[in-house]
Amino acid sequence: MTALAPELAAAGSAIACFAASMARGPGVPRLTARVGVLGALVTLAAALLALTARAEPLAGVYVVDALSQFLKLGIASGVLVAALAATDSTSLRPSARGDLPTLIHLGALGMMLLSSAVELVTLYVALELSAYALYVLAALHRDQRMGSEGGARYLLFGAAASATTVFGITMLMGHTGTTQLTHLGTAPPPAALLGLALFLSGLLFKLAVFPFHAWAPDAYEAAPHPAATLIGTASKVAAIGILVRVLMAVGHSQLLVHLLLLASVASMTVGNLGALLQRNVKRLLGWSAIAHGGYALIGLVVASERGRAAALFYAVVYVVIGAGPFLVVTALGAGGRNPDRADLQGLARRSPLLAALLLVGMFGLAGIPPTPGFAGKWFLFVAAVERGAFWLVLVAAVNATISLYYYLQLIRDAWTGEVSPDAPPIVLTPSMRLAAVLVLAATALLGAFPGPVWDLAALAAGGSLPQ
Amino acid sequence: MSALAQIPILPLLLATPLACTLLTLVVPERLIKPLNATLSALALGLALALALGFDATTGGYQFAFVRPWIPAFRIQLDLAADGIAVLMSLLNAVVYFTGTLTMWSLNHRTREYFAFISLLVFGVFGVFLSRDLFAFFFFYEVAVLPMYPLIAVWGSTRKAYAAMKLTLYLMAGSALLFPSLIALYVLGGGDTWSIPELARRGFDPSVQVFLYPFLYVGFGILAGMWPLHGWSPTGHVAAPTSVSMLHAGVLMKLGAFGILRVAIGILPHGAEVWAPVAASLATAGIIYGAFVAWRQTDFKYVIGFSSVSHMGIVLLGLATLSADGTRGAVFQMFAHGVMTALFFSVVGFIYDQTHDRDIDHYGGLATQVPVAGTLFILAALCGMGVPGFASFVAEFLVFVAALQAWPVLGIIAIAGLVITAAYLLRVLGKALFGPPNPERAGLLDLRPVQALPRVILAGLLLLFGFVPQLALDLISHIGAVVK
Repeated sequence: MTALAPELAAAGSAIACFAASMARGPGVPRLTARVGVLGALVTLAAALLALTARAEPLAGVYVVDALSQFLKLGIASGVLVAALAATDSTSLRPSARGDLPTLIHLGALGMMLLSSAVELVTLYVALELSAYALYVLAALHRDQRMGSEGGARYLLFGAAASATTVFGITMLMGHTGTTQLTHLGTAPPPAALLGLALFLSGLLFKLAVFPFHAWAPDAYEAAPHPAATLIGTASKVAAIGILVRVLMAVGHSQLLVHLLLLASVASMTVGNLGALLQRNVKRLLGWSAIAHGGYALIGLVVASERGRAAALFYAVVYVVIGAGPFLVVTALGAGGRNPDRADLQGLARRSPLLAALLLVGMFGLAGIPPTPGFAGKWFLFVAAVERGAFWLVLVAAVNATISLYYYLQLIRDAWTGEVSPDAPPIVLTPSMRLAAVLVLAATALLGAFPGPVWDLAALAAGGSLPQ
Repeated sequence: MSALAQIPILPLLLATPLACTLLTLVVPERLIKPLNATLSALALGLALALALGFDATTGGYQFAFVRPWIPAFRIQLDLAADGIAVLMSLLNAVVYFTGTLTMWSLNHRTREYFAFISLLVFGVFGVFLSRDLFAFFFFYEVAVLPMYPLIAVWGSTRKAYAAMKLTLYLMAGSALLFPSLIALYVLGGGDTWSIPELARRGFDPSVQVFLYPFLYVGFGILAGMWPLHGWSPTGHVAAPTSVSMLHAGVLMKLGAFGILRVAIGILPHGAEVWAPVAASLATAGIIYGAFVAWRQTDFKYVIGFSSVSHMGIVLLGLATLSADGTRGAVFQMFAHGVMTALFFSVVGFIYDQTHDRDIDHYGGLATQVPVAGTLFILAALCGMGVPGFASFVAEFLVFVAALQAWPVLGIIAIAGLVITAAYLLRVLGKALFGPPNPERAGLLDLRPVQALPRVILAGLLLLFGFVPQLALDLISHIGAVVK
């Protein structure tokens, strides 16, 4: 039972939120949001409790191992931030407010199943479960043009990626005669490589890396802020986690490494250059997420155990440093508006807490100590240089410098701008305040003492697939 | 001495500014300045205790404090001080304390200001006292990051531009450092980040020649190395007084310290191969900085470019790779740090009253504000390298070593002293001694309380000028890098 506690908690939370949203009365959205927060707390507790659990509920299909439990912890953390942000869902039309927490937990359930799946069909079903939740979340603003357009674009791109994934799976299965990841062996036949590449491209789509990145800024912009928080944090953990699992199972052929290298370098460059041009904060975060996907891929390119651990560590770090800016967006974007840089002006005077959160988040994304972004990059870079990838690290470090330009501009807006007289006062709900404090505390703690989480990531990357 | 050895002085010294950052965020508004004054005084006291407790006869690293930090990567919090670190920590503490006192009149977002300042100082102490390469770079970046908000929020004169330029330049340097520092770890066996241990193990000559330029340029940007110094004068000009003091006085020294400790320390062969290039760039910086300073009309630009010139002397001394040249460079880091801090604190005092830094708009300051004027003259004399001031001994050592290593470059560099004298005398002649500007008749002079930090700085310049042994004894164990 303990082994499956996180999944059960996520499923229970989704059901509880759904039930709460069925009630009648004006207080329902608020009630649902609270149930959602409670459910997220329970899920996080369950993920912590089940951290050391090891089991094979369905041999060869579904495993509970170090990797899956580490990922579930990261996913649950992201879900907690998203659920706390969802208490501030006044921007949504009333009929959709109850759906928000429900779908967040449903998406979390899909991601958690995904982290434990070791069989291609199971994996595909879990992938779709999480994806459908995210498609709906992204389109919750269907009353607004931008919401329906961005949501539809995400759905269409996602469906195409799904089709690619299925196509890849069938080719893999046809050539190897198995759907079990473990049986794909360390060296799939050359003909199966195409299938593998197609399959992986579906996963790279989830991570939003080049050339499968184009949906991210649109989806971020279209989605309600709490939903964007979930897409921007927890879903990245799941995507990196499943990439790690698949690559661990099939091994790194030379061709795959080259493809991943290309995706990594192109993503960080395209993402950062794209972000330079943005004035809308959420679009900027979308482009920056593409760049960060590229950084995380470094760990997979280098094809070492330490590299995989560094990628997993970076995914969890990204939840912590990436959550802050989304909370700021949630607080500033009342009425469903997408704040742009002008809305940040004078934030330090309007809400010192949010300004601090933004500052810490931006420095974290830029990889500057004492935020965990620094340790995250450092570990990735150590893994890369160990494998001789000196120039790759230099390219990544130069990219980080470029990214600093747009991160600093947001800080400047927030810290030096004058408050415009018609700016409404910022009222933070207690949940938002809690989320902000939690993120700040996690940033400080993980930044100063990255050791324990690294150890978990190293354990997760240690190759614990059942033989 | 023995009782002192029992106190974990280095962790305390490091913890003081960090505690100051955290406390500043929570104490009531009216306690912020007293708190910062007290804790910066405590840091100064600890740094003095460190200098007095340091056993200069044995040299080497002392007061070691080692704790595991990230065991999986063998990263340690490895604090220890050698003579150079002691002298630099003293400099940092002096500038921290005097800088805090000069900002007593600040009333614009005091809380954030002092929190950022003490975070910066925390990073600087960390760099000087860390023997672990990861910790070194960690603190190095901690020291750089608060500069952005400090200049962008509290600065003047194109502050947003200056802050962005400074941060991007310095982070571009970090981009070069990132892969090279990690390469040192990986090629050094992948089991230690300890700087002395890596230096002892030694590296393949081809590796040294390849990696050295990355490290030299990466750290050199922060040291104001010509031609990548562009961030420094604009940053100085835009920054508020105590930030200018810390920035020019201490932060730029981090770059030179990184070159000495990491680049030269771990890659001596690379340093030897690249020394002619490094020395040429340093000499160019000395001359270029001095010439540009000559043509400036803004007080702070004069000092900003003089920093480029004076840091060129430091880099030239390091490039000689000789015992005397290195000692001179380290002493010059200290002397220049105190001197620039004094310059900026006096100029900042005048600017705060007039919001005008144009030299042509001033005249006869020596009679209008005699105390501030005298202090400025003292700083200028030190800048010229007049005997009796700390920089005289430092520059003398550097130039002698440079003449021995590269006679031609040495002579050119010494010619830079003449230009330095020219631009400083020009400022003195116009602003301090020229005909008084009647519009500035109402200028207030320093009150005793305001004079205190500046007098401490000026006193140090004279003290170390007349008794240079105080500093030279601390760094007497520096040997030639290349025999």
